Amino acid sequence: MLNGHHNLIKEICPFLPPRIRSLVETLPLDLLKKVEEIRLRHSRPLMLHWTSGEAFLGKNGVVGRTEDACMISGEDLEKTLELISNHSLYAFEEELRQGYITLPGGHRVGLAGRAVVESGKVKLFSNISGLNFRLARQVKGTGEKVLPFLVERGSGRIFHTLIISPPQGGKTTMLRDLARLISDGVGILGQGQKVGVVDERSEIAGSYRGVPQLEVGIRTDVLDACPKAEGIMLMLRSLSPRVIITDELGREADVAAVTEAIHCGVTMISSVHGSSLEEICRRPVVAALLQNSYFERLIFLSSAKGPGTLETIVEGERGLPLFTSQSKGE
Amino acid sequence: MSAKILGAVLIIFAAYYFGCSMSAVYKNRVRRLEDLLVSLEIFKAEINYGLSLLPEVFHSIAGKVRGPVGGLFTRTGEYMKMKEGFSAGECWRNSLRDRQVEMELAKGQMELLEKMGLIWGRGDKNDQLKQATLMQELLRQALHEARGERDKNEKMWRYLGLLGGITVVILLL
Repeated sequence: MLNGHHNLIKEICPFLPPRIRSLVETLPLDLLKKVEEIRLRHSRPLMLHWTSGEAFLGKNGVVGRTEDACMISGEDLEKTLELISNHSLYAFEEELRQGYITLPGGHRVGLAGRAVVESGKVKLFSNISGLNFRLARQVKGTGEKVLPFLVERGSGRIFHTLIISPPQGGKTTMLRDLARLISDGVGILGQGQKVGVVDERSEIAGSYRGVPQLEVGIRTDVLDACPKAEGIMLMLRSLSPRVIITDELGREADVAAVTEAIHCGVTMISSVHGSSLEEICRRPVVAALLQNSYFERLIFLSSAKGPGTLETIVEGERGLPLFTSQSKGE
Repeated sequence: MSAKILGAVLIIFAAYYFGCSMSAVYKNRVRRLEDLLVSLEIFKAEINYGLSLLPEVFHSIAGKVRGPVGGLFTRTGEYMKMKEGFSAGECWRNSLRDRQVEMELAKGQMELLEKMGLIWGRGDKNDQLKQATLMQELLRQALHEARGERDKNEKMWRYLGLLGGITVVILLL
């Protein structure tokens, strides 16, 4: 994985129109290193975002006033869309329907515009009015802290695990790192295990044209852009994984597929949005899974000390805390 | 005397060769337009079934259509791979500019080819297919006209070359 500024220059700039590219390339290194998002909005200033701030970008680099910033035109957006789709918008219809396009390197471009709806479902976005380049940065090691709590002593079996956090809390990063650790095999596990990732929104593996761009381990198979419920069943039928990893359970079909997988002797690791056990128990779909104690470990994350802050690890059936962070304990 | 005969033969050959090359232009125009029609057919098949990316489609066309038309697609694909921020239309225009002489097309036919650049990379699959079909229709019309021109001019230029050469020799003698 390249470091921050290399990511931006080598992997993002080729997808920006020359006018905008030249502005980004001349930015100081320390700014390039921390940039997380580049925002292009029609008739509005070009903006950069990072965890603790934002900036307007103009001819002379970062500018203080919007009047001095580079204003994005319809032509800029059209050209950018052509560049990110590799001149092949027709090949990205499914991505356009989902509202994002993944770039090589696992970076993602979110689309804003007019949604064309057919039979109550978004068919595609037309008249694109905004593009958001989100830089993918793999954070390795987040799973190392929790993995010892997820492995059964003696047998080495991995417990069915549910990761819970509010949005931007680091769930996907944790799932990706767990996939990598379990697949490659780390000390506590001994040999690696076959992992199947059902990546409905291409966020876990950051796949580009089906090929994972982020490290998810050597024994990992990825079903990219595949609906979770269908993907889990496909995995069970044909790819014989020991562990299936998927994110954001929410639909009844997902729960049915998870239940099926659990009863097939496959370990499930998944995530849901939420900040506490009480909160997620109010969601009927998730509550059904918890009431049946399918998940043996519950991991709670927050953004208290930055995304991916580990708050607690709870034993699923009896609700016993296995780990509590110091900030939580205080 | 023998030098005169040799000179006369050379003049006639040169004039005939000129006539032949002029007639070849009309023949080649027909061939180019036929190749372009085939290219668009491959384009339609590739995006309809394969959903390949445009640079890959152009590579595939270049592998199947030889000669200057294949070269035109190769060059356009190269421009796209440079990642200099060119749109597909700009890559096509640059490539047309590079290959204009080899294409040997008339002004109107070149303008049609420039319009072809507006198809690439714009719209969804259905749009692309519709635009390619429309362009094929325009190319068929141009091909019909080019065939008429070829039939009219091909033999004429060859005879003109030969007769021109003989006339020059008679005048010189």
